[in-house]
Amino acid sequence: MPRLGNRRTMIVLAGLIVAANGFFPALWILFTSFKTEAELMRVPITIWPAAPTFENYVRVFVDQPILRFLFNSVAVAVLSTLLCVSVSSLAAYALVRLRVPGAGVILSILLAIAMFPLISLMTPLFQVMRDLGLLNTWWALVFPHAVLSMPVCILVLISFFQDIPRDLENAAMIDGCTRLGALWHVVIPLTAPGVFTAAILAFVNSWDEFLLALTLSPRVASRTLPVGITLYQGEFSFPWPIISAALVVAIVPICIVIALFQERVVSGLTSGGMKG
Amino acid sequence: MSTIKHRLTPLERSERRLGFAMLAPAFLLLAAVVVYPIADLIRASFTFLHLAQPWMGNPFVGFDNYAKALGDERFLEAVWHTVLYVIVTVPGAVVVGLGLALLANKPFTIKWPVRLGLLLPWALPLVFSGLIFRWFFEYNQGIANAILRGLGFAPLNWLTDPTLAFLTICLAIIWKASSFVALVLLAGLQTIPKSYYEAAEVDGASAWQQFREITLPMLRPAIFVALIFRTITAIQTFDIPYAMTNGGPGNATETLAMYIHKTTVDFLDIGYGSALAVLMFIVSAVITSGYLRYTRRDPGRH
Repeated sequence: MPRLGNRRTMIVLAGLIVAANGFFPALWILFTSFKTEAELMRVPITIWPAAPTFENYVRVFVDQPILRFLFNSVAVAVLSTLLCVSVSSLAAYALVRLRVPGAGVILSILLAIAMFPLISLMTPLFQVMRDLGLLNTWWALVFPHAVLSMPVCILVLISFFQDIPRDLENAAMIDGCTRLGALWHVVIPLTAPGVFTAAILAFVNSWDEFLLALTLSPRVASRTLPVGITLYQGEFSFPWPIISAALVVAIVPICIVIALFQERVVSGLTSGGMKG
Repeated sequence: MSTIKHRLTPLERSERRLGFAMLAPAFLLLAAVVVYPIADLIRASFTFLHLAQPWMGNPFVGFDNYAKALGDERFLEAVWHTVLYVIVTVPGAVVVGLGLALLANKPFTIKWPVRLGLLLPWALPLVFSGLIFRWFFEYNQGIANAILRGLGFAPLNWLTDPTLAFLTICLAIIWKASSFVALVLLAGLQTIPKSYYEAAEVDGASAWQQFREITLPMLRPAIFVALIFRTITAIQTFDIPYAMTNGGPGNATETLAMYIHKTTVDFLDIGYGSALAVLMFIVSAVITSGYLRYTRRDPGRH
């Protein structure tokens, strides 16, 4: 095989392809968000905005309740993440450490129920939430979103809990800790990266969820970002420059989360996928 | 752990009790959000319940809804479209994802742009990917037709021609899904010992032979996981076609999930929608159970 001196170039090229594939759509939206409607109509289309304008951003914040959508998205994502991670940590710990008979079967049942396609449950969930008076509230989404992330959270947490040496907890218990005390003081701090990983995955899942949010919380004031932006109606056609600005506003928070914690996210996704 | 049965010590017994207590919140949550709604779904599927016809009440109608589904052309079309999405996007995303994983598995000096390039499509909400691709394939202002015009071709009706709309939606789904596949496969690639390749190189194996004889067999478990995950999500396809065509033109790109959503939320036909949802669940269950048979193991054993 001929070994050419262009090995480095090939590597850089490979990286560029992967990065461009991932970044291109988001960058295109970013550029579009600074263009005027008139520039978008121009026939050889422009890539870089000819006369960058912030008007679209002003209109997103002034004309549309996007701050309301943002607030709803954050509230639903935070609450469902807290619920999911606490419930999943307790379950994962019980399955890994405590002598629960048939732990493997229990895990399978847990996963089988939690992986039930919630899409096919939208009708009864709609009825349940309506009966409870929770339609168009955060709670209509908090509970289903927590379930949505339970399988991956439980799998990630199990794989982290398994790596904690049993002796550490036993030592803590000899020193007078209870089981729960050992979990709180020893296991949770040691598995903080795992808990954190589970939390990020749950947060992103909730932030991105669309169908349940569309079905269970459709009123304008209670919409989350994905629903709010998708149902954005312009006066005439779909107002692309404003949509682009709204998309940028919605994507930036999740990009920051991903950029800050990329290694955690990758390890969590793959341990949930691989060990699962 | 020994398999010999012995009397539980008080400590073991109390641990066991605590264990069940710690599992309780998870099962309570699942009971409220999944189990009770399933029971309600199955019950409703055997009844007539139309929110626009409240005077009809909620009478038991046996298998009428299911019989109606089998004769409902729009339902059968939606099933067929869903099957087509599975057939096209599952192998599509796995092949593209494998390509991305192989490209990303190089010794980069700066790692973050590559990793972020894989994570960004994963983190982007499905509907947003749909909106962005709809924007790309817009007739007048979209980048796809701009390129065609630039090359001297006539612009295409990407989103209003039934076949093209289906293919465009598949492209968006594959773009979105392949990054997750790539992350899973990349993790698999990184577990393959370098020495295998070095040995193959010594034996004079070509790059293609190394790929076929080492990479693919070693990646098989990861590919299997990616395939199953992708299939489960493909059956539930909703967001991307909803954002790109809303099932159109006509209902040429409508999926099963979209039809169930329309039946329930727009037509308010709860009874019939429930029967459709039960049918959809049966399909998913067959595939999920295959997945669980693969993953089931005792988490207490390491």
